[in-house]
Amino acid sequence: MRKRGETVMAAAAAEKSTKEKLLSTLDDIEVLSRELIEMLALSRTQKLPQPGEDTDILELLVQRDKEFQELMQTAVEQGKVHQEMQALEKEVEKRDSDIQQLQKQLKEAEHILATAVYQAKEKLKSIEKARKGSISSEEIIKYAHRISASNAVCAPLNWVPGDPRRPYPTDLEMRSGILGNMSNMPTNGVNGHLPGDALAAGRLPDILTPQYPWQSADVSMGILPPHHGNDFGLEPPGHNKENEDDVEAMSTDSSSSSSDSD
Amino acid sequence: MAGVMETEEQARHRFQLELEFVQCLANPNYLNFLAQRGYLREKPFVNYLKYLLYWKEPEYAKFLKYPHCLHMLELLQYEHFRKELVNAQCAKFIDEQQILHWQHYSRKRTRLQQALAEQQQQQPQAPSHGNTTSK
Repeated sequence: MRKRGETVMAAAAAEKSTKEKLLSTLDDIEVLSRELIEMLALSRTQKLPQPGEDTDILELLVQRDKEFQELMQTAVEQGKVHQEMQALEKEVEKRDSDIQQLQKQLKEAEHILATAVYQAKEKLKSIEKARKGSISSEEIIKYAHRISASNAVCAPLNWVPGDPRRPYPTDLEMRSGILGNMSNMPTNGVNGHLPGDALAAGRLPDILTPQYPWQSADVSMGILPPHHGNDFGLEPPGHNKENEDDVEAMSTDSSSSSSDSD
Repeated sequence: MAGVMETEEQARHRFQLELEFVQCLANPNYLNFLAQRGYLREKPFVNYLKYLLYWKEPEYAKFLKYPHCLHMLELLQYEHFRKELVNAQCAKFIDEQQILHWQHYSRKRTRLQQALAEQQQQQPQAPSHGNTTSK
């Protein structure tokens, strides 16, 4: 009987949970109390086989009971700690959801700001563009007069098919300019719409050279053509029209945002 | 790409040359002429056309008497257009459409004038109807 008690105690020496310890202690108590009762039942009929065994068992019983009480105490404390832990976990959950909420709001704010910044940049661009292209209305009107008066953009009201006037420089006009007089323009009657043109043969004497207004720029303005290296055989310098600004403003950190609604 | 230093005189001359040339581009027959002689296929020429785009800037455009040339210049930047210009029918079509467009405002104005004239013809009749009924 003792050995059974010892083996049970040996098993309890390993690290076990309170519940297991409690249960094992209960088992011990059960075993001991059964032994005691058996002994008491036997002692009615026969003498004690071993003197003092009943006191041993009683001592063990008391000891087990004490252990049991202690374990119960520990269990109660552990219960309290567990409750605290649960309360703290709830707090943590609450804080977590708060943080997530804030994160969502922050993301939304960032999105809105990014859009606003992007649109502001677009607006600035268009303002800059408009400012760049601003021309005095007087100049525009002057120009409009010039191109309309010469019938360059609007046909003369009495124009009929057969009228030699055109919205582009005619053969005649082309030949009488600087270009026409520079090199020998190959004469081809197909392209010229003045086939019987007496001027087609060559140059006019200088005094007869008509100065059409489309050729003479107002040179006193001092405007010069843009400078260029004389070699057009090479690739022209590339103008990178890629607008990197557009991409930068719109790319936000795309984490899991399931809400796409605007 | 060696930058040749040109004198102001040369630059002015070049300005006039380029002014004339870019305006010649408004003439579809001239474009056909250039296409048939293969100029539009040469890479330096294509680069030159791209360089000529500076005439679109307002400070240069104000010298152009034939603004159609700018549209032609823009179209010429596309290879497909340059290829198509070899056909004489293409040039003829462009010429016809260009002239029709050119006449657009005149036509509109004559239509308006006709409408106005018709209106004025109707108006004198209306009051006379009213006079005959009152006796």
